[in-house]
Amino acid sequence: MNIYLRELKARRKSIIFWSIGLFLMDAASMNKFAGFEKSGQATQVFAAFPKGLARAFGLGNVDINTALGWFAMAFMYLLVLVAIHASLLGAGILAEEEQDKTAEFLYAKPISRAKVVTEKLLAALTLIIILNIVTLLSSISMVAAFNKGVSPTQEILLMMAGMFVVQIIFMVIGSAAAAIVRKPKYAGAAASAIMFATFFLSLWLDITEKLPWLKYFTPFKYFDAKIIANHAKFDYAFIVISIGVIIAMLTMTYVSYNARDLKI
Amino acid sequence: MLNMYLHELKQYRRITMIWIVSLVTTAALYMALYPSFAPQLDAMKKILENYPKVLLDALGVGPNVFLSFAGFYSIIMAYMMLAMSIQAMNLGTGIVAKEEHSHTAEFLLAKPVNRTQVLTAKLLAALTILLITNAFFMAAMWAEINFLADILIAGKIFILMTLTLFIVQLFFLGLGFLVSVTAPKIRSVLSISLSTVFVFYVIGVFDSIIGSKAVRYITPFKFFDNQYIINNGSYEPAFLVVEAVFLAAAFTAAYYFYLKRDIRTT
Repeated sequence: MNIYLRELKARRKSIIFWSIGLFLMDAASMNKFAGFEKSGQATQVFAAFPKGLARAFGLGNVDINTALGWFAMAFMYLLVLVAIHASLLGAGILAEEEQDKTAEFLYAKPISRAKVVTEKLLAALTLIIILNIVTLLSSISMVAAFNKGVSPTQEILLMMAGMFVVQIIFMVIGSAAAAIVRKPKYAGAAASAIMFATFFLSLWLDITEKLPWLKYFTPFKYFDAKIIANHAKFDYAFIVISIGVIIAMLTMTYVSYNARDLKI
Repeated sequence: MLNMYLHELKQYRRITMIWIVSLVTTAALYMALYPSFAPQLDAMKKILENYPKVLLDALGVGPNVFLSFAGFYSIIMAYMMLAMSIQAMNLGTGIVAKEEHSHTAEFLLAKPVNRTQVLTAKLLAALTILLITNAFFMAAMWAEINFLADILIAGKIFILMTLTLFIVQLFFLGLGFLVSVTAPKIRSVLSISLSTVFVFYVIGVFDSIIGSKAVRYITPFKFFDNQYIINNGSYEPAFLVVEAVFLAAAFTAAYYFYLKRDIRTT
């Protein structure tokens, strides 16, 4: 319990900073929608785009004339931000003890490694939930503000539920990286490399219709905001895959970290 | 000074190689989509003919630009710019800050070199790393363009468009240097560089959809309008000035603050 509380306290400033950042991003993107709505003619041109081209612009088959459609497009960028946060958090929270040379101190205490990992991951999970709730509340209020006071709460809730799963996936990828990568200072780099590789893969899949099965390899495609905006549901196959990935990464984290030769 | 310069190059050798390989692979994969993209473009051309040309130009989708290979290439450049900016910002922030957080600053600054020399060596090393990355990237792209059939792009336009990557990288290198000498304590270089670059990127994305002008002076991602490059075969001078002023200010400030910095030794 001590470790859990200590981690939360140590990251208080950073989570406030991230929350403000996400709120501003949310506000700014919806503010752009107001400007976009005014220039009505522009939307007709985008509407005429063939699918592949529109997707290259991040528009996809969603109506960006509605506040929700616009938000679905902007959602991708919120998703990348929280994914950056989750990857660095998951990797950092384990790797920092070695990096800051506090590992000897911590692991000399009468506490098992598994317990340390559990408490640290719970702290990371708490922070992720906080960030998710902040994003949820700011999204609902921002979309409502630019949608004549009406909020499509159900769709936004679904998107944020999807975002939460993606956050957990990147957090456990981060912690697995910290457990496996030999030099602790490269743990964050490895986790964010995976994150960006999957992000670029999802951009690539947006442009082309070739190799559609590749979407199983990028969490950014698991909960497609554009589909949620249109149908108010997500594909349950991806929830099963997500759970599989999370369990695999957690197992890897615990097993490798237990056997890890800590850098001292 | 030469020692410090060479030491930095050696330190960054592996990570730079990883960057080059992944950048080239990613860009090559995007580029390989072009042949399947081309027929769509022809259909698109017919649709766009119905719209007033002024409007299309304002949106950056003028037919002769957007529907050529150069137009497709500019989409790839936009993605690559994001990735390479992260490289540059990471490099700029890390190359100075790492001495403090890996506790080697005392060692380095106790040597008979002054701080100006230290910063200069690091700056030159960072510039060399970025130049090498861009040289490899440009060569690889040119090779792929020549390898894929039916692709037409003027050599000059290709060079101008690819070179925007380097110029934007310089912006983030400057910003990174500035951050690393002014921030009191840097816990994680990565989280600073990733979030900074991404915020600039997103500002650019939204404003290009609504066609905002003012924002072009704020985010380097919008300094270069590929449509302008294709039509005029040059950059817009105003934004080169913005970039130059920023770089001059950033590096002057970086030297100023680094000379006065209270180096953390614990």
